Amino acid sequence: MILRLALAALGLAALAGCAAQTVDIRSLPSATPAADNATAAESRAALAAALANETTEPAAENGEPPPQFTPADAPSMYTYDPWERLNRATYRFNARFDSAIFLPVANGYRRLPSPLRSGVHNFFGNLTELSTMINYALQWRLGKGARSLGRFLVNSTVGIGGLIDVAKRIRLPNAPTGFSDTLGTWGVHPGPYVVLPLFGPSTLRDTIGLAGDIGARYGINIVDLYRGPFWKTGSLDVVDAVDERANTPFRYYETGSPFEYDDIRFLYVRKRLLEDTGLHRHQPPKKPAPGAPAGQ
Amino acid sequence: MLPRPRPPRWPLFLFLVATAASAAWLPAADASSDGGALAAPNSLPPAAGPATGLADSAALRATVFGTPPDEMAPLPASVPLTEIDIQLPWENPVPAVFWFNKKLRVWLSAQKKPAPLAIVIAGTGGDGNTSKLQTLRAALYGAGYHVLTMPSPTFPGFIVAASRTGVAGDLRQDSEDLYSAMQAILAHFPRRVRVTDIDVLGYSLGGANAAVVKAIDASQGKLRIHRAVMINPPVSLFTSIGRLDRLFALSIGSGDAGIERLYRQLYAELANLYRASDRVELDEDFLLGAAAAVLKTDAEFSAAIALSFRLDLVNMFFAGDLYAHTGVVVDPHHPPQVGDPLEKTEMTLRAMPFSEYFARVFSPYYLAHRAHATNASLIAENRLDIVAGALRNDGDYYAQTNSDDLILDKSELRWLERTLGDRIVVYDHGGHLGNLGDRRQIADMLDMLAGRWHRPAP
Repeated sequence: MILRLALAALGLAALAGCAAQTVDIRSLPSATPAADNATAAESRAALAAALANETTEPAAENGEPPPQFTPADAPSMYTYDPWERLNRATYRFNARFDSAIFLPVANGYRRLPSPLRSGVHNFFGNLTELSTMINYALQWRLGKGARSLGRFLVNSTVGIGGLIDVAKRIRLPNAPTGFSDTLGTWGVHPGPYVVLPLFGPSTLRDTIGLAGDIGARYGINIVDLYRGPFWKTGSLDVVDAVDERANTPFRYYETGSPFEYDDIRFLYVRKRLLEDTGLHRHQPPKKPAPGAPAGQ
Repeated sequence: MLPRPRPPRWPLFLFLVATAASAAWLPAADASSDGGALAAPNSLPPAAGPATGLADSAALRATVFGTPPDEMAPLPASVPLTEIDIQLPWENPVPAVFWFNKKLRVWLSAQKKPAPLAIVIAGTGGDGNTSKLQTLRAALYGAGYHVLTMPSPTFPGFIVAASRTGVAGDLRQDSEDLYSAMQAILAHFPRRVRVTDIDVLGYSLGGANAAVVKAIDASQGKLRIHRAVMINPPVSLFTSIGRLDRLFALSIGSGDAGIERLYRQLYAELANLYRASDRVELDEDFLLGAAAAVLKTDAEFSAAIALSFRLDLVNMFFAGDLYAHTGVVVDPHHPPQVGDPLEKTEMTLRAMPFSEYFARVFSPYYLAHRAHATNASLIAENRLDIVAGALRNDGDYYAQTNSDDLILDKSELRWLERTLGDRIVVYDHGGHLGNLGDRRQIADMLDMLAGRWHRPAP
């Protein structure tokens, strides 16, 4: 199914590439500076309060501070990327697809009324909640799993089938995890860096995790959503993808830099490695092999 | 398709810095109650740490944190936005690695009625939609202007699509390229946009560009630019950049080793903060909090400023070396092709200060292309002095700066005050651009643009 989407997208992107002109003028969704500033002030105040709490309570679950990282435990500044040429080609394809199709569609979607968009966003978020719960169970983090179950139950009922994130307002914020984190908990290494068509930056383990998460969504198949003709499941996936894109403030080649691929790879791999250190909170840091690039 | 981890928008450290504003508006009460990592930096006495000797603590913090949201000038609820990609007729052949920069991208926010146009130019390395430009755009649009925001001539997208030389950093050449680009863009404006008058503004290096663009226009008369406002401009480009190089050397160290040390230290600190928290995702909220915990000493703030400038320089250095065939990191006979690994090149460039760019790319190129040029003359021509007469005698140039701006020294500030006389306002505090967007800066800027600004009596 995803393959068919990708092929259709490839064709459209090629067509769009032919229609280059001297001047392109595109109207974008309006900026909302006053609201953005108010949100910034609000979220920072909330964060300040949250952080004040965190410093007064013992942060670690059992009260013992986790073993400390030292600068020597940091991975190399170089990154393991044995499939770099293919990855770079995929990155370019993603950039072209994004500017020709994905982003224009997402920008159109952003013109819809905001309650509608947040409804869509919460709905798909709520669908993931059950597989999140299963993954927490597989990671033996039962408290977090119970929280996901609680979120799912509250949002599916009081939140009208998941359209409203009620749970967040009663201090049960979203805490996403996936099959890749589960594999990480079991000791599977991230493996080489991979750029996936349409999905973007990933690692080998994250790719397997993603496949597992998609499988879980189709497998769990709440209220028979993910059964039926291709147009039905396909449109669900497309709406989900467009919503996700509209909520991702990333723009390909906005940096204008020839090093953008390298920078994104650097950040993505460091972000995932740092998150892995959290999966093994109570173990001392693993010493990186001297000279080995990060992720190997 | 499922939600996937989002690629962060900025290099990690910059992300930290950009989101560090978390601490700037924390109420002082919080700071005293926990006494820990989250104290409000603006209200703290200078933290212990190696002093840089180049700027005081408050200036460094203001520069990093920017204007807190609750001190922002009133901004409009909605600002229409149009993106314009334009291919300029004089572009050089686009090098393979820069295939995505074929067209110059600028942003327009147009009023429905006839209105004056404000053209705003970004600072060093900035594209036409930086967060500072977004703030200025909102304020100007709210005050009734059409607003066109443009990248800095040092932004790689501009260098490739709009520079005639490919070697950025020359004040006059860059401003001429900007001026030509402005004409081309205005010629392709949507027909419904009716412009009654044109003003130019810019922050940081963009301020100096704005002044020179107006001076060029005064002799060529193609746009009839009315007023120019410079926000925290440099006076001598290379002196200002030299100060940032020194800041880098003092706070980070020289070369590869310094950067790697900084990276390892930051990684370890983030890992410890993350493990001590109960979080399951390294998201924006986490980084926001981490920034407040990680950035504490003057040296750390200095490192943040110096590194963000250095990362901008990397792109400009690479493009210059590629276009000028100077062979520092780009083999002139075998330039990198699409898909070639560039990790080592980037690492090498990151370790190089601006003085290397000047000595190995900028100066060789301009000495070869400009008759009678010498290193001394190149430096002298990259000062606002080249438009000193206009700044002094034409009443339509204005400037806003801060007495603690770290890109100016005392004599440069005095030069600005002497030259502009009553048309400059110097705020006591704000560091470099740390008060851009606050009520007073915006109010004064709008008064200057409307020609109704009067220096308040001391």
